[in-house]
Amino acid sequence: MSVTTKEPEKIRIQKNFDQIAWMAMRYSGVLLIPLAFGHMILQDVVVGVHQITTDYAMERMATLGWKIYDILLLAFAFGHGMNGVRQVFRDYIHNPRSFRIVSSILFIVWLVISAIGAITLLAINPAMGR
Amino acid sequence: MSNIKTTLTGYAGYRGREGHWAFLLHRITGLGVVLFLAIHILDTSFVYFAPQLYDEVLKVYRSTLFGIGEVVLVFCLFFHGVNGLRIAYLDLLAPKAWTIEKTRRSTYIVMAITLALWVPSAGYMIYNLLRHNFGMFGG
Repeated sequence: MSVTTKEPEKIRIQKNFDQIAWMAMRYSGVLLIPLAFGHMILQDVVVGVHQITTDYAMERMATLGWKIYDILLLAFAFGHGMNGVRQVFRDYIHNPRSFRIVSSILFIVWLVISAIGAITLLAINPAMGR
Repeated sequence: MSNIKTTLTGYAGYRGREGHWAFLLHRITGLGVVLFLAIHILDTSFVYFAPQLYDEVLKVYRSTLFGIGEVVLVFCLFFHGVNGLRIAYLDLLAPKAWTIEKTRRSTYIVMAITLALWVPSAGYMIYNLLRHNFGMFGG
């Protein structure tokens, strides 16, 4: 008596945007563990809102190391978050055309807010505020 | 509207237990964090665009109501991160472990790690809130 067990076949499907987005959610999520946890533990717990002043924020954002850290955090966290919102909408909007419109709106919101954040981070320099 | 009603009754009635709770909590905490994040990017941009208004932003951040929200936010981010790490691990490295029994057990591990991170953080934040906003502990 022979039992045949068929090996699962590996199939190759063409990469589309949603596959890349699915992977990106996992990789950016792992990267956000040190970035977002670090930022939150430092600013909300260790330093605390009562110690934060405009000068403190300005000085911190003018430091090159923190500038790079914050740009990475902005890019990965908000991209991860807005794609997450898109995935939630996908579960409730079944009409492809409506979903495309919602996706476009989310993309514009992401772009505008990210740009405002990026301009802030890039423009603040050590000469300001003093 | 019937869509939302179906969703809510479905979420309440479906008895998926731990895996289901983890999914719901992941979604709610994720939406909460991204809503805060959008506001946070915009309010932080005041440091550059309107530094004199940033003092007003900081006043809001220091209010008691916001302080309580902050403690909730810290829970949301810790849970979303730790549970997200579980999802990434299972999807990328151990897809065979996506079984009901294993995901039930791992959900409890996620909750334990989340609480281990959140409880001391929340305690210290509440201590600071009571000190600065209510003059306790010699504040």
